[in-house]
This record gives sequence, C-alpha cells and structure tokens, in this order.
Amino acid sequence: MKKERSYSLLSKTSAIYLLFTLVAFLAGGLFLWNEGEAFITRNLDHRFTKWEGRTRHHIEEGKPLSELPRFISAIPLATAPDSSLFPIYSDTLIQNAELDEMHRFRKKTILLEAGGRIYKVGILAFVEDFRRLQDDVFEALVPAFVLLALAILVFNLLLSGYFFRPFNRILELMRTYKVGQKTKIEQVATSTSEFQVMQGLFHQMLDRIEHDYRHLKEYTENMAHEIQTPLAIIRTKTENLIADDRVMGHQAENVKVIYDETSHLSRLSKTLNLLTKIENGEFNKVEEIATRPVIERHLRAVDELANLKSLDLNASLSDQHQLVIDPFLLDIILKNLLKNAINYGTPEGPIRIHTDPQSLIISNFGAPSEVPPEKLFERFQGNPTPNNHSLGLGLALVQKICDLNDLRVAYQYQERQHIFSIR
Amino acid sequence: MKILIVEDNLLLSEEIGRNLVDNHFKVEQAATLAAAEEKCALYQYDLVILDLGLPDGNGLSLINSLREGEIMPAILILTARNSVEEKVKGLNLGADDYLTKPFHTAELNARIHSLLRRRNFDRKETLEMGPLSVNLPAARAQLGDTPLNLTRKEYDLLLYFMQNPDRVLTKQSIAEYLWGDHIDQADSFDFLYNHIKNLRRKITRAGGGNYIRAMYGMGYRFSI
Repeated sequence: MKKERSYSLLSKTSAIYLLFTLVAFLAGGLFLWNEGEAFITRNLDHRFTKWEGRTRHHIEEGKPLSELPRFISAIPLATAPDSSLFPIYSDTLIQNAELDEMHRFRKKTILLEAGGRIYKVGILAFVEDFRRLQDDVFEALVPAFVLLALAILVFNLLLSGYFFRPFNRILELMRTYKVGQKTKIEQVATSTSEFQVMQGLFHQMLDRIEHDYRHLKEYTENMAHEIQTPLAIIRTKTENLIADDRVMGHQAENVKVIYDETSHLSRLSKTLNLLTKIENGEFNKVEEIATRPVIERHLRAVDELANLKSLDLNASLSDQHQLVIDPFLLDIILKNLLKNAINYGTPEGPIRIHTDPQSLIISNFGAPSEVPPEKLFERFQGNPTPNNHSLGLGLALVQKICDLNDLRVAYQYQERQHIFSIR
Repeated sequence: MKILIVEDNLLLSEEIGRNLVDNHFKVEQAATLAAAEEKCALYQYDLVILDLGLPDGNGLSLINSLREGEIMPAILILTARNSVEEKVKGLNLGADDYLTKPFHTAELNARIHSLLRRRNFDRKETLEMGPLSVNLPAARAQLGDTPLNLTRKEYDLLLYFMQNPDRVLTKQSIAEYLWGDHIDQADSFDFLYNHIKNLRRKITRAGGGNYIRAMYGMGYRFSI
C-alpha cells in the first residue's frame, strides 16, 4: 500500500482557510467589479439620455450643428441606414493634449430623427475616473488578501504552541505510559472541549486496560502458582514410588514417564510464567552493566559442562562492553545462549564468546539447524527428540528480552558456525 | 530437632512430614497462618518450613512475629511463587532459604541439613556413615583414614547422597542440585554419569564398596 503523506491538522486547516479566503476574495472582487460596471453603465446611460435629449432639442431649435458641445458630433444622413445596428457602444482612448495623457471615453452612436432629418449622433462620455476607481478597488483587494494570509499563518504558528500544548502533553503521556506501572496518570488542564473529551477517553481506556491487565496477570500468576502445589505432590508421591522396589520392579517405565512429564510440565509452566512476566515488563530495574564480570561468572558456571562435552570455551571480553538492562534479564540471556551453545556445540571448534564495545557474540560449531533461521526465535521450534527435554523456549526468551530492551539479537550460520549476536 | 511445617495443602504437608520423620525429626503441622502463629507462641521450633500463600494471609507476616520471639528458628520458605521480589523480600525479612515448588524431596533434605548446620543447631562438624566421614567446615571427605581427593562437584554429590541415604535420588534431582538451571536435562545426565563414575572409582580405590547403585535407569541409591 502506498504510504500517504501526512500533514499537521493546523497546516491543513490553515491551507483550507486560505483557500476559502481566496475564493471569498475572488467572489467579492468579481461582485465589486460587476457592481462597478453596472454603476458606470447606469450613470452613462443617464448621461447619454440627457445629451440625446439636448441634442434633439438643439437641432429642433434650428441651431447650427457646430454649436453643439465638443463631445457631441452630429452628422446628417442622406439615406437611413439599418436602424437595427444602432445604438453602437464603443470604448475609445482620446489624447488629452493639455495633460498629454490618454483618457478612456465611452462613445454611444445613435440615429437621431429630429426636424425631419436623420442624424448620426456620437456622444462621448468621460469614463477615466470611474475606471481608475474600479482599478483601485481591485488593486486594494490583492494586498488585503496577502496581508490576511500572512496574518493567518503567523497567528496559527503562534497559537499552535499555546492551544496545542495540552494536546501535546496528553500525547506525551500516552507515549510514556506503561501498563501495570500503577502510577497515577497526570490530569492535563485544558479548556478545549475536544482535548477534554480525548483525555477523558484516554483515561477510561487506561482504566480498562489496567483492569484487564490486572486480571490477566492474576490469572497467569494463580495458574502458575496453583499448578505448582499439585505438581509438588505428584512429584513427592512419584519419588515415593521410585523408592519402592516392589513397584519399580514391575512399573519402572510407567513411573519414569510420569516423573519426567511432571518435571517437564513444571519447568514449562515456570518458564511460560517467566516469559509473561518479561512481556509485562515486570523486570524493570534497568541499570548500566559492564558485562565482563557477569559473563565471566557465567563462564565459570558452565565451564565444567563444556569440558565434559570436550568443548573449549574461548572468551575475548572487552571491558568497554555495556548493556542497559535489568541484571536478572541479562542473566537469562547469557544462561540461555550459553546453554544453547553447549547443547548444540560440536568439538570441531571452540565456543566463542566475544564482546567489543558494540556487540556481544556467542558462536558454536555444528551442523546446520533443521529449524529455518527465521523461525529460530519462535516458541517451541526446537526439535525435542525423545531424550531431549529442551523446552523450546530459551531463544524465545532471549528474543523477548532483547525486544523489550532495545537490543537487536541476530542469528547467522557461517562456516559451520552458529553465530548469535546482540547489539 | 523440632520442625514446624506451615502448608495449607494437607497432602503435601503430610508428605513433607513423613519424609522428615523418616529423617528423625520431630514434626508438627499448621495449615493456616493463625494456627502457625499460635504454635510458634507456645512452642520453640528449630526450623519452620513456610508456605507463603496461606488461606488467611501471607506467610511472610509470620516471619515478622517470629522475630519478636527470643530465639528465632531457622526459616525455609517453600512456595509456588517464583518471583525474585518475593524471594528478596523473604530473605530480607530474615528467612534463611527459599525453595520453590515443585521441589525434590532430596533437595529439601539437603537444604534442611545445611540450614541447620549453618544456624549451628546441629553442632556436628562431621557427617559419618559407615567408613565414610565428611568434614563439613573443611569440605573434605575420607574413607577410613584415606582422604578422598574429590573435586568440588564430587564432594557436593557425595554430601547430597549422604544427606539422603537409602533413597533413590533421581537424575533430575541431582542435576538440579549440582547445576541449577544452567543446563538442559538431557545433557546433564551424561555429565552426571561421569561424576558418579569418578566418585564411585575414588571410593572403591580407597578401599570402599560400591555404595552408589544405579536404579531402574532413573537415578541412584546411596547405601552402605
């Protein structure tokens, strides 16, 4: 899907507001122009009519045509032209000799019947002032619009900081909110009703989430707890059976299966419970840890196991490598990655534990994994063979912890080595 | 040596009790916090095995009231709550050890032994069984007069066996005791076999018998 560009609400409203203002100005300008035109036409018509009357009067009184005012010309016609062509309106420019300017005039040409003859009469009307006024009105509109647009922009910019402060504060609260934190979410004071509604809904939603979260948490915890006591009873009872030669003589295999599966169930529920706790972010005593002493401690713990499998542990640790993480979670990561390496490592070459200021790398030799690399970190993707009681949750735990602590865990298979790296 | 078991599940309480009686402890049981507080007010115990999730309250509050007494018994928390905070809280309040359910009976025995020793209730510094003797403070074992040159893990293993004599210890229980969860089960059994083999060899070389016997492919029994 194409990702749509996004704009801030304020730029959107400003743009639309400006567009509407532009339309309004254009419409207003058009209206004014038309009004001006109509006014000019009315005014001129009035003047033309008046001068027509005077001209007719002038001719009928028998005064010579040359005594007509300068702006009226009357020419007697010998034959009557097609009267449907008249009156003719035309705009002309006439040089004003005194001012040395071109002035706009309107000319109305009519046929006038007076004193028994037909005259072609042209009347000139001075329209320059009207036109100037009209142009002035129009020219005033453009800067008014530009000014208004600028004012809107500036206003929006200034006010966005002010009006949107509560909104941004609420957003910030949403961003930093963590489920199950138990801290009271601050009430942002705002008189904007939309923000009030949003904040109200946000708080309602939080209450609902917290409620659900608490229930789910209680359920998981109860589930994990309540299952352990019966398991403890089954285990001790089974151990009693194991201690009984009469039973074991006949039922050794059955008892063994019951015992093994009980242990598996117990570890499974403990680990799933741990995974849930990690997902819920219950391990949040985050601190900056220099990993070297921690890794060394883990190496000492698994050293013997590695030796028994004839695996060498080859560590090159940097004092500069640090992780920002809850120490308990770091333990889980190291435990699982080392366990993994020892479990699947072959004596072809050493298990390497390498840190540099940027990364932690643990690698072991071995045949390629049967699990596709992209599925390696999913739950229950290991291949539990009958004598392998691995839970299939170790790498899922590692992945989950890394995700929650902004670390990137990666896997690659290179030159017969399984390489896990954490950055 | 008197032990109080505070556990609301009677089946489990009985089971722990029977195991402790077999180990020559005197055992009393309480199923509720109130009953436990009453018993603690009336009697003096050397050890209290304490479940946290009790029907009438959190077991941790018992630790508080126990601290007001003159002699505080050793406290072993036995709980299904496998949370770090609970653990830290319990230990801070004055509990001595913490074991999560489901546990191995042998593990419980071992913890009780080392706890009582640590608290100096059990003044014996050596643990003896037939020709075998273990000097606990020095962490050394010898057969008759011949010292057994045991590695740390072999010593732990021998101690675990001697704390649970004549009892089949499952491989899982031993592996968990020795390595915690640093290892997956299947692998640990091979390692365990190695350790058992070495321990056995060291004992027989020093002139001892084959005390450690494999049982049904499930575990081992130590008996002299």
